[in-house]
Amino acid sequence: MGQKILAYLEERVRIRALMSFLLDEPIPGGSRWAYIPGSMVLFVLILQFVTGMMLAFYYGGTPDHAWDSVNYIDHLTYRGFPVGRLIRGIHFWGSSIMVIAVGLHLLQVFLWGAYKRPREIMWLIGTVLFALTMIAAFSGYLLPWDERAYWGTIVGTNMIGLVPVVGEILKAAIRGGVGLGALTLSHFFTIHTMILPTLFILFVILHMVIFRRVGPAGPFSGSPEQNEATKDTFYPRQVLMDSFGMLGVFILILVLALFRPPGLESVANPSNAAYSPTPAWYFDWIFQLLKMVRPEIVGVVGLPVLIGIVLVFLPFIDKKPVRSPFRRPISVLSTLFILGAMLILSLMAEHGYKKLVDVDRASMQRGQVVFNHSGCLGCHAVFGKGGKIGPDLSEEGLVGHPLSWLEVQFVNSKANFPDSIMPNFTFLTKQQQHDLAMYLSSLGRMGWPDPTKAQP
Amino acid sequence: MREEVTYRVGIPVMDLRGETLGRMEKVLFSASLHHVTGIVVRSLESLRIIDLDRVNSVTASEIRTSLTESDWHASPIFDPSQYEEVPPWFFPPGYRIEMGALMTIKPLDVRLGGEAGALSRRAFMGRSVGIVAAAIGLTLLVPIGGYIMAAATTPVTDTWRDLGVKLLDLPVDEPVQKAFRAVAVSGWMRVPEERSVWLIRHTGESDRWSRSADQTKNIDSPLERRNSDPRLTVLSPICPHLGCAPQWHNGQKLFICPCHHSVYELNGKRVSGPAPRPMDQLPVRIGPDGSISVIYEQFAIGIAAKVRLA
Ligand code: FES
Repeated sequence: MGQKILAYLEERVRIRALMSFLLDEPIPGGSRWAYIPGSMVLFVLILQFVTGMMLAFYYGGTPDHAWDSVNYIDHLTYRGFPVGRLIRGIHFWGSSIMVIAVGLHLLQVFLWGAYKRPREIMWLIGTVLFALTMIAAFSGYLLPWDERAYWGTIVGTNMIGLVPVVGEILKAAIRGGVGLGALTLSHFFTIHTMILPTLFILFVILHMVIFRRVGPAGPFSGSPEQNEATKDTFYPRQVLMDSFGMLGVFILILVLALFRPPGLESVANPSNAAYSPTPAWYFDWIFQLLKMVRPEIVGVVGLPVLIGIVLVFLPFIDKKPVRSPFRRPISVLSTLFILGAMLILSLMAEHGYKKLVDVDRASMQRGQVVFNHSGCLGCHAVFGKGGKIGPDLSEEGLVGHPLSWLEVQFVNSKANFPDSIMPNFTFLTKQQQHDLAMYLSSLGRMGWPDPTKAQP
Repeated sequence: MREEVTYRVGIPVMDLRGETLGRMEKVLFSASLHHVTGIVVRSLESLRIIDLDRVNSVTASEIRTSLTESDWHASPIFDPSQYEEVPPWFFPPGYRIEMGALMTIKPLDVRLGGEAGALSRRAFMGRSVGIVAAAIGLTLLVPIGGYIMAAATTPVTDTWRDLGVKLLDLPVDEPVQKAFRAVAVSGWMRVPEERSVWLIRHTGESDRWSRSADQTKNIDSPLERRNSDPRLTVLSPICPHLGCAPQWHNGQKLFICPCHHSVYELNGKRVSGPAPRPMDQLPVRIGPDGSISVIYEQFAIGIAAKVRLA
């Protein structure tokens, strides 16, 4: 059967020759694990395409539906298995892993000196793909239309506005107006799901075509004869290494998606001025620079632009044929130094963020009972129900109060606010205080109603 | 001698006395003659073409020629600009390149080493790749299948809707179309919607119309069987043929569907036309005060069985 199909295709599309073209690419110096990052990027990109299409199945790209539809996806189950949460989790973590994979690929090509003549154009296409990856990550951030998405994009687009001369007009064009609204969301959705995928496909094809024209660079050491003698074809050894790499990446993404599902904060609330947005981790270093460097323009626009310029012009500045990283100490060390600096900046930024409480679901549910039975709703409102004397607690979980602060607040609120008129709920047991604090920390972050269950 | 030989580019090429002239670089293939005409040999100082006639034998490890030292120096220099480099797949269908009467070379295998062990290792690695790919594919496709089906299989919850009419206000044995407001659920959206049902009041068990055709044919589900009343028949407004809306014609005392003229009696029984089953009876409850509530079920159209849509 298989042979027959093969023979049929052989006669019509010359499948053997085609497969041979695809798989028998010679790799000078043989297959190596070091060559797998490029394939990893392609794999994660395909994963993003597939899961992204799935998400678009159920997504509603307007401010009055986006959040509801994402919440709906989060609650979709099939035979009790949370398929929606899984698909969204893969897409969410896939974007982070994609950024990492692109970074590793870039670093490997840099260290191997593989961007040098005759591979300058391939490198240029690669930097375009790198930029597309970052734009994809940024534009996807807004789509769930929750507090994090909204305020993160406010800050992100404001940074674009800092660019001299064209900044404001650029920002308005991207937002589709002065503020963030329905047009911003549809702009971002279109960029994320139509423009970027098209460009991705185009540039990946270009990247691959050029790759096949010039061939792999091979190891940076060893004579051409040696590399010729130890040469290997792409299939099967390198393909096997690549597939093991993909399996590893896939398992990593699955584990993250299952055990650290992306949350959904409460729906974007433009009047919540107290919200302090944090960027996705790969923009942490810019966030930190923003705090440290004055004027902001230097950190925000200057540095990324500088990095972009260096990336683009690298193969044209660095024309010496020597490829070994050990014989290019200055450029390699300065790159590692910059990477180290970015890492330190990111760690500083992470350290500076308010840690939101890690919510324990069982404790949270007990706390909800305590909350409903202790008279809290007499003064405080939650999701539109309750009194107006105390502050609205619907988004208390996003404020970032630690558990200890909350526990004190229940029994002795004057300790936190000297002018507080809140009565002291000293009758609460230690356990109840803890559960109540857990529940309050979850408000605005989770526990949304399940739209797949019909409401009366 | 016609056998396939696999060998590496780069194997040594010997002259008549067994001295190495250089290393095999390329195979020259004539597109018009459809066979290999020569090989290109790289020595330290030049690239030269050796005519195939001068090749005596080809093995996996060496090529022997009938060249002398001076023949070699007289061989033409290989000028790459005069030739077009083509990938292996360029060769014509069923390409087997005839090297004169000597042997057949499969250009595919030019790069492969000649070891027999390599082939089984290659097959093993190929299988491993297949297994890994299948594992990833299945792990991804199964949840995706579930994801696509999840919305389609979300169960509908039965809600009783009060129609806002009292039983005693209805005429006897004459259908009344009653509209009511319902909520259409699609994913995360709930949209208010206008729906309607046919209400047919009967005098009681003794009324010949009080048994619906669905009851007579016994195609009702337990839900409909549990919730029926001899004083009232509720019929769906949807034609079981292809979903149009049958209308009551008072002159003929018949329901007639405008689309393909399925005709039904007062109890929903099909009299003529293409419909595969009677008009669908819906579950109904009558309160002590005569209030009427129904569950608005929808059924698969075009089939004889009364199958509820999820
Ligand atoms: S739809 Fe009613 S007869 Fe065809």
